Amino acid sequence: MSAAEIDLRFTLNGREVQARVPSHTLLLDLVRERFGLKGSKRSCDMEVCGACTMMLDGNLVSSCTTLAADADGRAVVTVEGLTPAAGLSRVQEALVLHGAVQCGFCTPGFVVAITHLLQQHPNADDEQIRRHLRGNLCRCTGYVKILAAVRSLAGTEPGLQPLAHERT
Amino acid sequence: MIRFDSLSEARPDSIDKVTGRAVYATDLDIPGMLHGHVVRSTAVHARIRALDVGAARAAPGVVDVLCGADVASLGCWGLVLKDRPILALDKVRYVGEPIAVVIADSAEAAENAAELVEVDYAALPRVPDSKAALAPGAALVHESHSPLEDFYFRGGARPIDGTNVFHRFLSEVGDVAAAEAAAAHVHEDHFSFPPVFHYALEPHTAIADFREDGLTIWSGAQSPAGVQKVVSRLFGLPLAKVRIVVPYVGGGFGGKASVKIEPLVAAASWKVRRPVRIAQSLSDSMLTCRRLGARITIRTAVDREGLILAKSADIVLDGGAYADTGSAVATKAANRIIGPYVIPNLRLEARAVYTNTVPGAAFRSIGGPQAVWAAECHMDNVAAAIGLSPVEFRLRNLAARGQRIRPDLRPLDMDMGELMGLVRQAMGAASAATGPDARGLALAASDPGIVAIGNALVRLKIDGSVLVAMASVEIGQGVHATMARIAAETLNQPFGSVTVLPTDTGTAPFDWGTGASRSTVIVGASVEAAALDAATQMLDLAAEALAQDRTALALVPGGIATPQGFRSFHEVFHLAYGVDSGEVIGRGALNPRSRGGALREAPLFWETAAGMAEIDVDEDTGAIRLRRYASAADVGRVINRVSAEGQDEGASVQGLGHTLFEALEFEDGQPVNASPVDYNIPTLDDVPDDFHTILVEHHDGPGPGGAKGMGEGAILPIAPAIANALFARYGVRVNDLPLTPEKVWRALRARS
Repeated sequence: MSAAEIDLRFTLNGREVQARVPSHTLLLDLVRERFGLKGSKRSCDMEVCGACTMMLDGNLVSSCTTLAADADGRAVVTVEGLTPAAGLSRVQEALVLHGAVQCGFCTPGFVVAITHLLQQHPNADDEQIRRHLRGNLCRCTGYVKILAAVRSLAGTEPGLQPLAHERT
Repeated sequence: MIRFDSLSEARPDSIDKVTGRAVYATDLDIPGMLHGHVVRSTAVHARIRALDVGAARAAPGVVDVLCGADVASLGCWGLVLKDRPILALDKVRYVGEPIAVVIADSAEAAENAAELVEVDYAALPRVPDSKAALAPGAALVHESHSPLEDFYFRGGARPIDGTNVFHRFLSEVGDVAAAEAAAAHVHEDHFSFPPVFHYALEPHTAIADFREDGLTIWSGAQSPAGVQKVVSRLFGLPLAKVRIVVPYVGGGFGGKASVKIEPLVAAASWKVRRPVRIAQSLSDSMLTCRRLGARITIRTAVDREGLILAKSADIVLDGGAYADTGSAVATKAANRIIGPYVIPNLRLEARAVYTNTVPGAAFRSIGGPQAVWAAECHMDNVAAAIGLSPVEFRLRNLAARGQRIRPDLRPLDMDMGELMGLVRQAMGAASAATGPDARGLALAASDPGIVAIGNALVRLKIDGSVLVAMASVEIGQGVHATMARIAAETLNQPFGSVTVLPTDTGTAPFDWGTGASRSTVIVGASVEAAALDAATQMLDLAAEALAQDRTALALVPGGIATPQGFRSFHEVFHLAYGVDSGEVIGRGALNPRSRGGALREAPLFWETAAGMAEIDVDEDTGAIRLRRYASAADVGRVINRVSAEGQDEGASVQGLGHTLFEALEFEDGQPVNASPVDYNIPTLDDVPDDFHTILVEHHDGPGPGGAKGMGEGAILPIAPAIANALFARYGVRVNDLPLTPEKVWRALRARS
């Protein structure tokens, strides 16, 4: 029994792409195996850990439980799409400088989720940070330095005053 | 806020990781690779009456199916006991035990076909837990024992024939019975600690490529030399023909230590003579290994002044269906239950037993969390029973720097009172909301740094760049950057000039493995020695080529400082060899014979931790929230502060998980929550705002610059510190982890 194949067209990190895949293909598998972008990681397979987090039309999704078909006609962004051609994004740089990276398996998902958080709330407070990132698991860092990195980006690092006009 | 000043000072691996470019075993694609899917036992303990793989073999995309019968001739393997077949042969011993591997051209085809495998089981009497394992007339998980001696660790397992006990350790000092008879007070408690899953986010994954000319395995393994040794013996291959490559590892915590799925993956490739990849799901990994659960009886005798006269402990560890390194876990639990105290009489017994559950495994500070949970809760109980504060009782009994806590263990190399004071100071004044009482303290002294055998090569290139080859695995702890820093400092070259080669037994010299907080000291000292050797060779060459007095020369970035000015390495090599080419290769090694045998005594250094917790308790629900936490460790010397702090923060929060909610549960041997949906670990939401990590440096350790190992100790104090806070505030003692809201609520209700 072979599954029905479907044709997909969508943008992947700003580039128009197309693919013919079995209809039950998951977005994570499509991006990792067909397009070779292996930054997004497979861990829990159950929308629990956030290691596979991508943006779909600007919203966060767990690509391990999202059908590739759901990406049709839409915009998918992965960690690779958030990485400048040279150097690092400010989210990536903050994570590196704060030592918020250990084994790194959760890190691409955090990069996507933190970037999304700051798009929504450039001066996110701790409550917003915690609510937004509680769906991304990290077993190495204990989150202390991840929290510090995000606070530094949101301007809420202890000792720094958030800029009032940027508050949303 | 501690952070790196610039990207050029930061860990190079972290730049690979934030961009998604870092390659893990799960990301590798070997040409011609097939995919294996493991068929697992659904029975707790059973004879395999029949195994039918015909339908699976005929399914679309399937190349072959590996069964127990295929590998029976290869025999069993193990680290301390040779107890483990590559695939279940005639019987299964736990739910999740590999029975067959379906090998197909896609992971999906293999997984689909695996569902077609039919197994007919005949149930055997179960040994569901450690109590049942020790009961008279208990069924035997293994009918006989085959211990290995000096194979993986020094010594070996001490099983008891005809029982489920695969290791018994007994240490007696003085006369506990006489001390108890003379004591003013004797106090006994019973504690338990459940099995806990490592939950490394990268599940176990390995690729094996078995060819005529040798075997290559790519795996997220913590102990590449252990994997190499075991598969070399199983398949009768020379070590030099077995190459273990370890890319970045997505977390391990002991769950990828020793040997796990590699023999199985190698056997699959051996059968089909093509590369085979097995990428487990996280749920599969929950059926692969877990921390050993423990039941502990602990008893302390004190005199009228509150001095401890004797301590005895009876520790029973649930080792699961195969021993793995459970014997070492038991021995270490007995060592780590002593604590940093002067106790003249000791009776410490630990037994590791087989049960029909997922095999036990090393997990961050093996045996330590279980032992320190019991020891430090018990300390507060004894203090309360004799009317002393927890701090005062500890102060009266602390061992001083230089004192031995047991005659066969190296004297303490730290001042525990200093650490205790530092966490107290960091906590500051109590929060008004909780009042002054909801605080708890716990201390730990553990004996890591096993197997002092390490090697390293440091190559100084003509352009001043440096190549380091060593086998410590970059598993997130930052060991590659640490080694780069040690090499850079020793050679006086910029940090950015050093490249650490990815772990590969084909290029790296022997090292025992990545664990037991040993890399910075043992491999770090090897790298330092190798860099010194390279420096010596370079300076000798320069002295000869430049006709200079050797003592007038010094290494500077890119070359040599001479009385006549700077000469580049290029110039030196050119003069010496007549051509602008060459390098020097430094070799460094550490072993038990080094330093006049000073490294022989165990432990190589002490790993210490003090922790203080302040908690909120919702009295209506029993939910505990950690409000503040401070941990302190004497690490000798910090090489990379950001990473070192991160180690202790991560260890503490892992400990917070097993304190409040983590337990891998079994009902009559059947796993009940072995899935990421049902088994939860801490999230960002569980971490307190107020979190202090204190690292003490006295530059007195055996590693480079006086470093000691670290990274495991901080997992030890948090559970007893939180339980002691609950005890201090409410007078209730919960003896069984985790401290779930239900248990806490029931304890609070029973009190009122």
